[in-house]
Amino acid sequence: MAGTFTVAAKELRDQFGSKRFLILFAVVLLLSTLTAYQGVDFIRNNENAGFVNIFSGGQFGFSFIQIMVFFGPLLGLALGFDAINKERANGTLSILMGQPIYRDSVINGKFLAGAAALSTLAVGTIGILSGLAIPMLGFGPTLGEVTKILALALLTIVYLVFWLSLGILYSVLTKRTNTSIMASIATWLIFSIIISILASVVASSMVPLPGGGFRTGVHGGLGDLGELRMSPEFMEAMEKRSALQSNIEKISPTNLYEEAATDILGVAGGFMKGMGFQEFQRTLTLTEALAANWANIATLVVGLVICFSASYMKFLRSEIRPGD
Amino acid sequence: MVENVIETFGLTKRYGDFTAVDSLDMVVEEGEIYGFLGPNGAGKTTAILMLMGLSVPTTGTGVVAGYDIIESSREVRTVASILPEYSSLYGELTAAQNLDYIGKLNDLTKDVREERIGEMLEIVGMSEWADEKYEKFSRGMRQRVGIAAALIKQPKIVFLDEPTLGLDPVGTKEVRELIIRLNREQGLTVVLISHLLNEVQMTCDRVGIINNGKLIVMETLENLTKEMTGGEERNVEFMLSEVPPGLVGDLESIEGVKSVTQEKDQLFVYGGIESDYEVSKTITENGAVILLMRPKEYSLEEIFMKYYEEG
Repeated sequence: MAGTFTVAAKELRDQFGSKRFLILFAVVLLLSTLTAYQGVDFIRNNENAGFVNIFSGGQFGFSFIQIMVFFGPLLGLALGFDAINKERANGTLSILMGQPIYRDSVINGKFLAGAAALSTLAVGTIGILSGLAIPMLGFGPTLGEVTKILALALLTIVYLVFWLSLGILYSVLTKRTNTSIMASIATWLIFSIIISILASVVASSMVPLPGGGFRTGVHGGLGDLGELRMSPEFMEAMEKRSALQSNIEKISPTNLYEEAATDILGVAGGFMKGMGFQEFQRTLTLTEALAANWANIATLVVGLVICFSASYMKFLRSEIRPGD
Repeated sequence: MVENVIETFGLTKRYGDFTAVDSLDMVVEEGEIYGFLGPNGAGKTTAILMLMGLSVPTTGTGVVAGYDIIESSREVRTVASILPEYSSLYGELTAAQNLDYIGKLNDLTKDVREERIGEMLEIVGMSEWADEKYEKFSRGMRQRVGIAAALIKQPKIVFLDEPTLGLDPVGTKEVRELIIRLNREQGLTVVLISHLLNEVQMTCDRVGIINNGKLIVMETLENLTKEMTGGEERNVEFMLSEVPPGLVGDLESIEGVKSVTQEKDQLFVYGGIESDYEVSKTITENGAVILLMRPKEYSLEEIFMKYYEEG
């Protein structure tokens, strides 16, 4: 274990000193701070809103959760994509492995350092947001809200570390950092953007909307298009389409995280039967939220374990070749 | 009695159908500088990676300082160091920080690390640049820090793979002198892989020549030279004032002379030592003056090429 901690300490120092990490941390912190102001504004104008709304940025504004959904893969992959192949490319791997340490110390140390850096980023950002919001609101979170915030922090760490594991897997599978960075960017684009587009296209083609307009009511005059209403058939089709799209999107870890995080905070939006597209606030307890999202959370954890195990096995079996 | 610090038994490494190292049986004695020679792709580096436990042999095994390279590879790395070809330390760290990191990986205490970092940098002549970043160093300075990193654990054996590669003549000489000094003063066993045969000749006590994964020969340089000349027979170079007509024929008829080769005013007479007197007498009787007479010395390159071509 001594080798693992020595490698981890060096890697952690490298991460905290790297421009890559500092830039990403600064961007996340800046955007999160802006969403916190938005959240504070929402809380002031809604007497039912609670402290945790600073993380949801109101209800449909750009929130901490959405920042993590979008930047999370980038953060995790950025810290892992060159963990091993950079050592090979720089010729430091053979020097490192030439020391009396077990081979798994290297990959374990790198994983621990990346996980620690991402945990610092997640906890640090959440802590700073809370610290900024308390004086602005004049009150802090209740005990129940504190547990929700802690659960959110933990979920965010698991989510970020999943991406780190995937990045490390790329760094083990590829010899060149150019290849692993391209794989990482492609993964980020697929899970952050392309899957949503694909799910929308598939859902639209599989569930066509019924013909005819959905505006009904009496025209009041020129320019008055009448009251906006949706026919029951239209509503039903939209609900089916939304459910299908949501199910397809579940293959993306970003969606798993978003759903779970939103439920944990007790803020959600979507189509509710008979109400159409609505913003609504659900006040699930933490236990209810965890019960409703255990599959999402378990999938993230299993994905993390699979990616890291695959990296571990591959690295342990790989040969040190001349020039590594 | 000199102990064998490295011994291999049929050490073999295959990558699919390609055999990189083929049944290698090699012995390195304690305190010697052993030159490991061979053309590119001969299997030298693969062999030392196996000896360090960084690559698993397909068949066969080896013992390094008493530790089995398969069963106790981690223990091997406590007593042996490697400076691989094209290897590097961490560019973002200073020379001292790099050595400190290597020291930590070797479980050295803080006090021991501090003491040895100063000592090792002093030995390799890098004390002045202890706090400079490694990425700023020239190739020669990097090699010297690399050697310091290999020595910080105070190993019994060090494997140096092309340590002078890419160095200018001054850097090459410095590294060569450093290796000899470490061997003489600290009793360090050195396994040196190098393409620079004259460097090996100036540095090594014994050499092993490997080709296509097979060890062709393993001997002291002195014995290799003897073998080149066929034991007691040797080539003697005579530089003459002139080569009179008929002299070559007369020399060839002397008992014990195997062959005579002429290059302008030089004659190379190959034969036994007992024929030297008759040869000299015949030359002077033919009216030529002997300006120089010396046994021909074989370079390691000639020795290497002989075994390489035979192998």
